[in-house]
Amino acid sequence: MTTWLLSLVPVYGAYLVFAATFLSCLALPIPSSLIMLAAGAFTATGDLALTSAGLAALAGALAGDQTGYGIGRLFGAGLLARLETAGARGKALARARRLLSDRAGMAVFLSRWLFSPVGPWLNLVAGAGRFHWLPFTLAGIGGEAVWVGLYVGMGRLFAANLEWAGDMISSALGLVAGLTALVGLGLWLRHALKERAA
Amino acid sequence: MNAVRHLWARHRIAFVAFLLALSVTVFFAARLLFFLVYWADPARQDQDIAGWMTLGYVARSWDIPPETLANGLGIPEGSARGHTLAELAAARGMPVVSFADEITAVIAAARAAGAGGTE
Repeated sequence: MTTWLLSLVPVYGAYLVFAATFLSCLALPIPSSLIMLAAGAFTATGDLALTSAGLAALAGALAGDQTGYGIGRLFGAGLLARLETAGARGKALARARRLLSDRAGMAVFLSRWLFSPVGPWLNLVAGAGRFHWLPFTLAGIGGEAVWVGLYVGMGRLFAANLEWAGDMISSALGLVAGLTALVGLGLWLRHALKERAA
Repeated sequence: MNAVRHLWARHRIAFVAFLLALSVTVFFAARLLFFLVYWADPARQDQDIAGWMTLGYVARSWDIPPETLANGLGIPEGSARGHTLAELAAARGMPVVSFADEITAVIAAARAAGAGGTE
C-alpha cells in the first residue's frame, strides 16, 4: 500500500498532492503527510518542482478547509441550534461553543498541523457555529502553511531517506502534541483542585 | 488519592483526557527513541532499491551523481525525470528486480572508480 502510493507521487506530482491534502482535510483517511514528505523528497531529486508541489499541497488543504466549513454552515447550523436548546446537554454544548469561539483563531491554527486529527471536525464545528469566515480563513492559511512547510520541507531536506524522515517527524509531532495537551489539561486539573480547596 | 477521587467524580472528562494525553506522550517518546536507535544502524542508511523510487532518488540515497547513474544505465540525462524505476524497467521489458541489480552494479562500479563520493 505504502510503496504503491509512493510510486504514484513522482508520476502524478502536484495533482496527487492536491487531492491528498484536500481529502484529508475532509476527514478521509488519506496518508497526506507521507505523500507530502515524498513530494518534498522528489523536489530534491529533480523529479518534481518545489513551487508546484508546495502550492498544490497548500491549495488542496485550504480548499478542503473551506469545503468543511461550508458543509458545517449549510447543514450543521440548524442542527447545532436545535441541540443547544435541549436541556442540560444543550447548555453544556452552548458553553463549549462560547469557550471555543474565544480561542477560535488559535484552535484553528494549531489544529492544522499540531493537532491535525482534530482539524476536519473543527472545520465543521466552525461552520456550524457560524464563526466569522475571515478569522477562520486567515488562521487556516497560517496553520496549513506550517503543516505543508513542515512536511514538504522535511521531505526535501531529508530526501536521502524518506522512511527515516517519516518516522522522525511523525514521532516528534506526536510527542509535541501529546505534551501540549498534557500541560494544558494538567493546568486545568490543578485549577480545579485549587477551586475545591478554596 | 483524595485529589484523584475528586477529579474522577467532578472532572471525569478532563481527567480521562489527561490520562489519554499522558499515554500518547509516553507512546510517542518511546517511538522516537526506538527510531533513533533503529536508524542509527549504518546498514539501514543505504535504502534497498525499490520500484517506487526514481533514478534521482536512488542517486540521492546512495550518494552518487545522478548523471553518473544515468550514463551507466545508458539513459539520456533528464529523460527519466518523473518516472519510477518500475516504469523504466517496464520500458526496458525487464522485471524490476533485474533492473535493480543493474543499478546496483552501476553504483558499485561508480564507487569503485571513486566517482561516487564518500562511503
